[in-house]
Amino acid sequence: MSYLSLSNVTKQFGDTVVVDNFNLDIDKGEFVSFLGPSGCGKTTTLRMVAGFEVPTSGKIMIEGVDITDKAPNQRNVGMIFQSYALFPNMTVAQNIGFGLTVRKEPESVVKSRVAEMISLINLEAHANKYPYQLSGGQQQRVSLARALANRPQVLLLDEPLSALDAKIRVSLRAEIRSIQKALGITAIFVTHDQEEALSISDRIVVMNAGEMEQVGTPFEIYNFPKTRFVANFVGSLNTADAEVVDPTKGLVSVDGVQFTSAEGTKERKKGDKIKVAIRPERFSFAALQHKDNVVDAKIENITFLGSVVRIQVKIGNTNFNMDTFNNPFLELPKIGSIEQVTCSKEAVLVLDE
Amino acid sequence: MSFLSRLRKFPFWAWFWFLLGALYFILPLLATFEFSLSWDPAIPFKAYQRSFEDSRFWTSFIASNIFALITIFASIVLVVPTAYWIRLRLPQARRIVEFITLMPFVVPAIILVFGLIRVYSTPFTIPFTDIVFMQPLTQFKLGTNILVIAGYMVLAMPYMYRSVDTGMRTVDILTLTEAAQSLGANWFVIITRVILPNIRSALLSGALLTFAIVVGEVILASFLGVTAFGPYLFLLGQHRAYEPAALSFVSFLLTWFAMGLIQLVTGGQGQAAGAH
Amino acid sequence: MAQTIVNSKSNKATTNWKVWLGVVPFFLFALLFLFLPSLRLVTASFTAPDGSFTLDNIRQLFTVPVIVNAYKLSIQISAVTAIGGGIFGFLLAYSVTVGGLPKSLRSVLITFSGVASNFAGVPLAFAFVATLGRQGFITHILRDYFGMDVYAAGFNLYSFAGLSLVYMYFQFPLMVLIMAPALDGLKREWREAAENLGASTTQYWLRVAMPVLLPSILGAMILLFGNAFGAYATAYALTGGRIGIVTIQIGAQIRGDVLYNPGLGYAMAIGMVVIMAISLAGYSWLQAKTERWLK
Repeated sequence: MSYLSLSNVTKQFGDTVVVDNFNLDIDKGEFVSFLGPSGCGKTTTLRMVAGFEVPTSGKIMIEGVDITDKAPNQRNVGMIFQSYALFPNMTVAQNIGFGLTVRKEPESVVKSRVAEMISLINLEAHANKYPYQLSGGQQQRVSLARALANRPQVLLLDEPLSALDAKIRVSLRAEIRSIQKALGITAIFVTHDQEEALSISDRIVVMNAGEMEQVGTPFEIYNFPKTRFVANFVGSLNTADAEVVDPTKGLVSVDGVQFTSAEGTKERKKGDKIKVAIRPERFSFAALQHKDNVVDAKIENITFLGSVVRIQVKIGNTNFNMDTFNNPFLELPKIGSIEQVTCSKEAVLVLDE
Repeated sequence: MSFLSRLRKFPFWAWFWFLLGALYFILPLLATFEFSLSWDPAIPFKAYQRSFEDSRFWTSFIASNIFALITIFASIVLVVPTAYWIRLRLPQARRIVEFITLMPFVVPAIILVFGLIRVYSTPFTIPFTDIVFMQPLTQFKLGTNILVIAGYMVLAMPYMYRSVDTGMRTVDILTLTEAAQSLGANWFVIITRVILPNIRSALLSGALLTFAIVVGEVILASFLGVTAFGPYLFLLGQHRAYEPAALSFVSFLLTWFAMGLIQLVTGGQGQAAGAH
Repeated sequence: MAQTIVNSKSNKATTNWKVWLGVVPFFLFALLFLFLPSLRLVTASFTAPDGSFTLDNIRQLFTVPVIVNAYKLSIQISAVTAIGGGIFGFLLAYSVTVGGLPKSLRSVLITFSGVASNFAGVPLAFAFVATLGRQGFITHILRDYFGMDVYAAGFNLYSFAGLSLVYMYFQFPLMVLIMAPALDGLKREWREAAENLGASTTQYWLRVAMPVLLPSILGAMILLFGNAFGAYATAYALTGGRIGIVTIQIGAQIRGDVLYNPGLGYAMAIGMVVIMAISLAGYSWLQAKTERWLK
């Protein structure tokens, strides 16, 4: 039996359905991300687990106990807010000890737990400072320690990194992940940043318009997106209108240019209108590797992105992006020239409309 | 939700305090109005009629309105360029100017008028001589008018300055000026076509507050012996019963009018004056 | 970004005294009509009738009974109406911000408060005479319908209690105007974080909300104190100068030397300025503290 389960959870505000029939089982110690654009219902779902919102229908259970109607202060879940939500009138140590003191834990327990948490987040030097004296990254670490001090059953993180600088965001997300692993705590992480979700999670729930689009490991979500929304939202993607030419061989045609797809056309008939999707990094110049899917492409534009060079090509009448790793000896084609490019059969994804 | 939990959610105490506050607000006004009508049951508005028939009412009321207009104009001329200049070129003067604009809280009207009288009731002499080149300001009408307007400007300064300064901050006057300059505008165009229109609502709310302060003011006018509505109303109260009530109610409506307009132009952020 | 632009400008400005010319009219005005009059009172209060320097006037502030009593009365009235108006104003501001009343009542209350905090002086005094005077509206209602004769019970509008009630009319609205934004500054996340950590509503208010608001509340009450302390017209119109608060005594001294010592009158004014300055400093200090927290 799963550790945390949400069954048939639906939330309506007035007539708007914000979360629609949400079902998810999370194992103990698992790190699950809710990924989606703003307004997709991910934060509302998280707030229902925290108890700030009451589901219109459905059930939320932790360790087999129904907590659906419990008040937030009767649950034992820790929450991290995007705005840190540290109490401005308390020092770092007082903030971390808050949950323990409202539960009337003996002072010795409070003291040792606070010390333990402060060393966990490496802020020993700042224990007696006030929140306004700390940087954003430090404040969010305090907020993490404050939530963990109560030894919560589940840790909820509501876009905890969104308010931070890019560099801190990357280092703090690694820190959150390593603390979560070390403590073996079950965590739900809400984010709209696909890179964040891919890098930090055991599993990702991609949400859109109140519904689950796909649940899977980061590897599955990125490489085998099930819907067009997931494919588009996670990573960058070329999509093109296409037509099934030969379902058994997986042959499709994009403006007359033929591609072979490894999967996805078996249940379709010849002449079906479909979408194909190919990730930019799956393209390469034909001279280098593959034998399947070698097509002519006109080089339209070349953009230098740092570690990656993005080349815009025209295949048939459709524009595609192809990404290639940068290196100092990279030889780039001339703009306007026609080159042969290729991608594997597995790279050609066929998407539902 | 059950009836009981609905009842528990009902903000009883919030309503209680709100209604108590509402009563405190309204009862004195209601009582004043009721009293002003009770002079002669046959002619309900007799007190108002009598008040408006009194030529001294009109003299003093018009005088106060003129004082208010001059004060508003002079304050704007004094405060807007100062606040603008400080935002633009002289940010290091901000602290001291803000400090000065807070001074009227420290020097209330009664002290201010005391000091003004003491300073300006002696004749002006050429330094180190006894040659008088100007009579004391308190000795002639224009002089007392100048003093009373200067005093009003001091009393209104905190509100006028804060209002204008906030207005300039919210529209980021520095960037607007730089944008206008880069487009080739001269200073006159910048001030009249860019700055003033953008702080219009701030100016208006500062002006209305000044109006409310000046029209009701009694201390400066009465100690400087200037004809104004405040002293008139006070004297009327010494020997009449119904007219003062009527005029008090009218003056409440005026305050209400000015504050209501401020709410309208500033979009709900009320401000407090303090000419008590 | 804007800050760095300002700074780079200011560095240039310090090397150029001409930019200061732009604020000369303002400083001149302040000098002529604010500082000069105040300074004159200061110097006069240290001057003996023969023109020599003296501390006698200041000493007498603490010894002459009529003056000591005036300060006592003013401080009492200001303190009572600041605390009373402060508490009542806070509760009102609470009720329309986080207290759960409909949103529309908030703007009604704020507008009313803007009006009432500016509705003072002579008209306010007359309004209260019509309300709670011997022949007042409420006095009659209480007597005729509730059998309570407040004047027989010792109440008098022209006394300390009466004047306090009148002052409250502009005191608590001022508190509402200051506290409503402060209460808005309480972030929803603080409440949620507290609940999430197991705190009850009471614990949240006692340990988070009130400590966060306390500097604002105290600061506002200090402002209210100064507001009442400097009030003159209301008290004068109500009692015709028969209540001996500081401002009334100063007013009498301006009209004619009732203390038989002009220097003492100036000293009284300076004593008042000192008290007002202390209030304002206290208010600014507390305000800075809150802003630092809430930034």
